[in-house]
Amino acid sequence: MGKDAGVDLLQGTLDMLVLKAVSLGSLHGYGVLLRIQQISQNRLEIQQGSLYPALYRLEHEGWIAGEWGQSENKRRARFYRLTAAGRRRLEAETKKWDQFAEVIGVILNTAPEEL
Amino acid sequence: MSLRSRMETWWKAISERGPLDRQVQEELEFHLESYAEDLMRSGVPREEAMRRARAELGSLAAGQEKCRAAWGARFVDELWADLHYALRMLARSPAFAAIAVGSLALGIGVNTVIFTAAQHMLLDRLAVPHPEQLRLLEWTQPNDGIVGSMWGWWDDLPGGGHLGTSFSYPVYQQLRKQSSEMESLFAFKPLDRQTVTVDGHAEAVGAELVSGNYYSSLQVRPILGRGIQESDDGSPGSGPVVVISDRFWMKEFTRSPQVIGKTILVNMTPMTIVGVNPRGFTGAYSAQETPDIFLPFSMQPIVAPKNGGGSNSSSLLANTDLWWVLVMGRIKPGMPDRTASASLNVLLDAAVRATMPVKKGGQIPKLLLIDGSRGQNPAAEDLAKPIAVLLGLGGFVLLLACANLANLLLARASARQREMSVRLALGAGRGRILRQMMTESLMLSLLGGAAGMVLAYAVRNTIPRMMSDSWAPQAVSARFDWRIFGFAAGVSIVTGLIFGLAPAWEATRVQVSSGLKDSAQTATRRRRGLAGKTIVVIEVALSMLLVVGAGLFVQTLIQLGHARLGFRPANLLLFELQPPQTRYRDAASIPLYRQLEQKLAAIPGIQSVALTNAPLIAGGVSMHAFIPEGQQRKPQGNPSVLSNDVGESFFSTYGIAIVAGRGFNSSDTETSRKVAVVNESLAKKYFPNLNPIGRTFESGLDVASPIEIVGVCGDAKYDRVRKDPEPTFYAPYWQEKEGFEDATFALATRLDAKTLMPALRQVVQSLDRNLPLLDVRTQDEQIAASLRYERIFANLTAAFGALALILACIGIYGIMAWTVSRRMHEIGIRIALGARSEQVQGMVLREAAWITLLGVVAGVAGALALGRFVASLLYGLKSWDPATYAGSATMLILVALAASWIPARRAAGVDPIRALRHE
Repeated sequence: MGKDAGVDLLQGTLDMLVLKAVSLGSLHGYGVLLRIQQISQNRLEIQQGSLYPALYRLEHEGWIAGEWGQSENKRRARFYRLTAAGRRRLEAETKKWDQFAEVIGVILNTAPEEL
Repeated sequence: MSLRSRMETWWKAISERGPLDRQVQEELEFHLESYAEDLMRSGVPREEAMRRARAELGSLAAGQEKCRAAWGARFVDELWADLHYALRMLARSPAFAAIAVGSLALGIGVNTVIFTAAQHMLLDRLAVPHPEQLRLLEWTQPNDGIVGSMWGWWDDLPGGGHLGTSFSYPVYQQLRKQSSEMESLFAFKPLDRQTVTVDGHAEAVGAELVSGNYYSSLQVRPILGRGIQESDDGSPGSGPVVVISDRFWMKEFTRSPQVIGKTILVNMTPMTIVGVNPRGFTGAYSAQETPDIFLPFSMQPIVAPKNGGGSNSSSLLANTDLWWVLVMGRIKPGMPDRTASASLNVLLDAAVRATMPVKKGGQIPKLLLIDGSRGQNPAAEDLAKPIAVLLGLGGFVLLLACANLANLLLARASARQREMSVRLALGAGRGRILRQMMTESLMLSLLGGAAGMVLAYAVRNTIPRMMSDSWAPQAVSARFDWRIFGFAAGVSIVTGLIFGLAPAWEATRVQVSSGLKDSAQTATRRRRGLAGKTIVVIEVALSMLLVVGAGLFVQTLIQLGHARLGFRPANLLLFELQPPQTRYRDAASIPLYRQLEQKLAAIPGIQSVALTNAPLIAGGVSMHAFIPEGQQRKPQGNPSVLSNDVGESFFSTYGIAIVAGRGFNSSDTETSRKVAVVNESLAKKYFPNLNPIGRTFESGLDVASPIEIVGVCGDAKYDRVRKDPEPTFYAPYWQEKEGFEDATFALATRLDAKTLMPALRQVVQSLDRNLPLLDVRTQDEQIAASLRYERIFANLTAAFGALALILACIGIYGIMAWTVSRRMHEIGIRIALGARSEQVQGMVLREAAWITLLGVVAGVAGALALGRFVASLLYGLKSWDPATYAGSATMLILVALAASWIPARRAAGVDPIRALRHE
């Protein structure tokens, strides 16, 4: 059921989701994928090919910072954490998204009598 | 914050390409393994898990590329790839690369060399801090203004009147005391060669008299010792000190630090060296020539005494009549020029009235402030136009090379159509293809530019060397600095854009589908190659311009070489003497000259010896007032004519005919009546239809004794070959009561300078050991030197013209070969249908002729339009000289026919069967 949502995910929304995932704790790339699936309760499927470009894009903008670390099974992996600028961006984007959703919701839920 | 992280990641992507790729690879592999493990944990077999993971994640290379693009490295990556590709393509066709880079190097190199010369001659500023603050004082006065006696630079104003930069010393002192708008006013005066004796060895060097505040105002700090100070510039003779130039220090003292305190003789006067100027400091007069010694004005009466304006004193410092000192100052920051010059004008008025008697209605000069950052820079005015013309011609040569290159690239572009179609089919945007083509063109042009700069550096001294006299070559080192580098780089980029645009545009207009077909030929040849033909027409027009230019300037030089001089320059050896005034005061030099004349005439091999004050065809004249008998002498504004003090055998040595009366002989002595010989022009102008012999005139110098005309001689050119002879009178030098400072000896001899030098030196030194022989050359060499600019022009424009013909030849050959090769089908059909080979050849030649004719006509129109600008540089022919135009057109048409001969033959020799199969 979440399949069409995964395919139609815009670039901006993927960025937002990644920021949110990382905001809950430092993660490596695979971990970000798992966490998004987890908090969306498996209703969202991310195109794995667009994950790493998104991570690099966010790092380019300075919203997340990456450094090498050790994964759970003692392997080398690159972990990303949210920066202060990233936190501000996440808040701003969340607010915008909420406003956007509210407006669209109001429009879509207009009953004919309310005109 | 965002900008900073963007720059950091971008830089990391560019500079650490390998590590970044490995990083992405590691991350992706980790992700792959983790995902595969999860799949395996849920029961999927290992192979299948890995396959699924790989499929989901996508290819490693694509991932790396996308991550690099995310960090903003796409543009640089593509640029790098384009450059790599372009270099590989160039390496594969070395002939094309050689022609392209070679013609660009020539075009850009030529322009860079001319720009270097232009910068050196016109733009170089004085080597002082903040030269833009310097202002030179200048004045203008009408023809009958009060300034009558002047020693220095002056010019005629177009509407009548004079322009000058020299002031009298008392006037300068007044201006300096009271000026408040300038930070300070200082004075200087460049002196011609003075005799300097170092450890018994004498030579002539340039000098500059400076005021006490010169060094402090210019803010020049000597690299050793001190500069001239106020304490040196007090009462006359109180400051026997000199500051020497770096060049002099190197030459005479090999940069020894012991030079401070050493005594040298300047015109026989002992002076102490107190400082050495920094290298590159050229004084305040010009940025091109460096005086070797700088001395204070207070020493003028002792070291360089001179009579000025009728007074008998040798000091010019108190002289109120002679205007001779140059004045410059730094303007106060923020002060507008107009305010400063207005107030200085008032001061000048007051100063003149205080120092000179001004009659009622006398016109006092008006003062102007002009930019002093380049000193007086006397050469700039003469050179501005010729250099502009040279730069223009150089630009045309470059344009021609560009057009050639554009055609070459167009031909190559049509061969790459399949490649372009493939790129477009694979998803490249047209903008991307345009970028790739422009990168290739710019790379080519920058390579050509670099080669051109190397070329220009190698020959950077050619033009300045051509400009100096051949017998006294200046140690030139034209500066090659960032401005020239910037010029060459800018020209390269513009060049690349110009010639790269047309082929790039053509490349993007490829149709993908038809480009990929095998027989792409017929569908893609739009508009019958009009672009290429238009370019060739432009090429021919530019060539026509350059060949016409070459013809005009070469003929100018030839005409000047054959001009009627009025005297016989052959077999005359010249040298100059400047006896220092301190030992040979005024008339004391006359016995020296007399003895020299006799002794030189006695040397075997010398037929006669003539002495002149001003050498002929050397750019200098002597001018004096001329009041014929019966005319009233005016206090100011008398007519003046040219004059020359000469020796007895002047007329015979130079071959100037005496057409009436006699020359000078032994009856004219120092004490007998003053005589003169006038030339025909003077006789015609001042004594029309009369016999001037026996008449008298007064000249400006000696008021009391009138001068009798004893002969009339033929007209002879005086200072320039270009100028027609003007009214001139010749006076015997020994009757000149004040003597003269420098004399040129002309020896009629068939021997050459090298053979005679020992004898000459021995004769001169037998009379005075401390008198150096200057400027030994023949009269022919002197004339050749006076024509040096014309010669430079003729050489350069001839080279340009030859280059233009070669490039036009290549261009026409290229376009005709290309036309023939694409019309192979058509030609094959024609021949199969029965066309004879002459008909086919004629077809090709006719097309070439059309192109050439169009180009020639355009070129003629352009040359006529531009000819007006160079008319003043020509001699002996008009800028629309029909013979030159006809000759150039003929040459171009012949070149065009020759160039299209081979393609025509090839077209005629086509085998119809092979042609019809030709793709």
